[in-house]
Amino acid sequence: MHMANELLSVPVATGTLAIAAGGLGLICRKLRQVVTSDKLPLMGILGAFIFAAQMVNFQLPAMPGTSGHMVGAVLLAIILGPHLAAVVISSVVIVQCLIFQDGGLLALGCNVINMGLVPSYVGFFLYRIITAGRSSSIRTYIGAMVACVAGLEIGAILVPIEAALSGVLLVPFSTFLITMVGVHFLVGLVEGLITVAVLAYLQQVRPDLVLEALPGKVRLSRKAVLATLLVFTVITAAGLSLLASGMPDGLEWSYTDRPDQPEFKPLVSNESSTITAVDDLQSKYAPLPDYSVRGALAPGWTSFAGVIGSAVTMAVIWAVAFLLRKRQTAVRL
Amino acid sequence: MHHAYIDKFAYQDSPVHRLDARVKFIITVVFTAIVISLPRTSVSILFCYAIGPFAVLVLGGIPPRFAFKHILLVSPFVVVLALTGPLYDRTATIVVFGPWSWQTTLGWLRCWSILGKFVLTMLALIALVSTTRFADLLAGLHRLGVPRLLVIQLGFLYRYIFLLIDSAQHILRARAARSVGRVCFRDGFKFTAAMLGSLFVRSVDSAGRINSAMQARGFEGKWRTINRLTIRRPDYIFAAVSLCFTLGLYLFVRPVLG
Repeated sequence: MHMANELLSVPVATGTLAIAAGGLGLICRKLRQVVTSDKLPLMGILGAFIFAAQMVNFQLPAMPGTSGHMVGAVLLAIILGPHLAAVVISSVVIVQCLIFQDGGLLALGCNVINMGLVPSYVGFFLYRIITAGRSSSIRTYIGAMVACVAGLEIGAILVPIEAALSGVLLVPFSTFLITMVGVHFLVGLVEGLITVAVLAYLQQVRPDLVLEALPGKVRLSRKAVLATLLVFTVITAAGLSLLASGMPDGLEWSYTDRPDQPEFKPLVSNESSTITAVDDLQSKYAPLPDYSVRGALAPGWTSFAGVIGSAVTMAVIWAVAFLLRKRQTAVRL
Repeated sequence: MHHAYIDKFAYQDSPVHRLDARVKFIITVVFTAIVISLPRTSVSILFCYAIGPFAVLVLGGIPPRFAFKHILLVSPFVVVLALTGPLYDRTATIVVFGPWSWQTTLGWLRCWSILGKFVLTMLALIALVSTTRFADLLAGLHRLGVPRLLVIQLGFLYRYIFLLIDSAQHILRARAARSVGRVCFRDGFKFTAAMLGSLFVRSVDSAGRINSAMQARGFEGKWRTINRLTIRRPDYIFAAVSLCFTLGLYLFVRPVLG
């Protein structure tokens, strides 16, 4: 579910980066009043726990050869509370990007939102609503299950929305959406099962960890819960409705923008709307090779020169560095 | 598994390593943004852009093979994404490259463009991370306005990832040693839950011990580092050269190459 840079346009990337940075900034400011320095090692090591837990894989039923592993966001949200979990999971996503190069630098905002903020908050609030403060084990398990499925699912739904808003989707939006929802429903089910199992284990072995005893848990009022859920609903709905109007543009784009064929678009420079409309229509259905062959010789040679030139430059850089290093080691000897 | 596995090159010394972390970070972001905003069907310009990260990697003494191995490791998702291009966009087009020309579809062009952009942005990211120590990068990010809580969290996380991955590997090896052949799903699942649970308990307990140790040494919520972050002349030169490179290619070479 890590988004790559290529799935986003720059405006969407900066927008999501701003939202993620703002969100994290707010959370950090809120936490600064609550978290004292003795909770910092715990947060750090639980982030590392998420990494380690993702290595512990297990065989999935009915699908030989595939194995699943825990994502862990909802488990942390249940145990640490949503604010701390959001910071911890976001830091995991950031380290995955910076150190393991998993997910792009520009896509970091999207990834923090999809995999850090959304699962922690949505998961925690759903868990809270279902358990309703009582600690019967059935309610806990159902709550954890629903929280996992919903948290992952909403994060997964955001991926095609962000990609479609960027206008980079080649796949039809609905296909992508259905694939993501379907796949992540299964992932969420497995995640829910494993979260429930781990919670059950912890309740047997160390009940103090599950029951509010862990330091740094921030209590939230019912109003805050409802308000946050409302905000997420509005954001998702707004994204979907934007898409409804934005999709034709995204599709149209693939017809109009032909940077590799500079002659393609500006055939008629008449500003009249009907003429441009007709022109658009014509250019849409006109056979392409006619247009591209005519003046294509020049761009072909320039791109040839560009590629060869770049290759030569890189070779020169490499050779110079090689010679310099050789001389350096020679001097050192 | 050790830190050295991922960022063994960050502790080398070279002109690139000595640059300020903030400058490198900002340049990487700008480079990535500009590469991403290149037209989606132009491939040849990407070769020109490759010069930048390639030069940094070579100057920093990072073997390209290391970088490409990393890129291969994280590529599967992007490869799938790129291959949807030829499937869904079959508009025929003719590509002319020097003396050769052949017919292909726009989908293939976009596929290659996506792959090229992916490799480029990843090269830039690897060039940043493997020429900057993570602690310096964090200090730089803090200076750039990232909240201190998040910076400290990232520092702790980085410090303990490899420790916990190690203990996870011990647990996994123990399971492999004890379960010969296939385990049915129910049992396997129960084992996994117990493994994760015990790993969790272990982490929480060691967090308590680490906390006492750090409190005993006077930790009160701040990293104290010998702060060496200063922007000097090489930093200005690097910033100017790389901005000229990225923007110059975008403004002057891209329109020509198309």
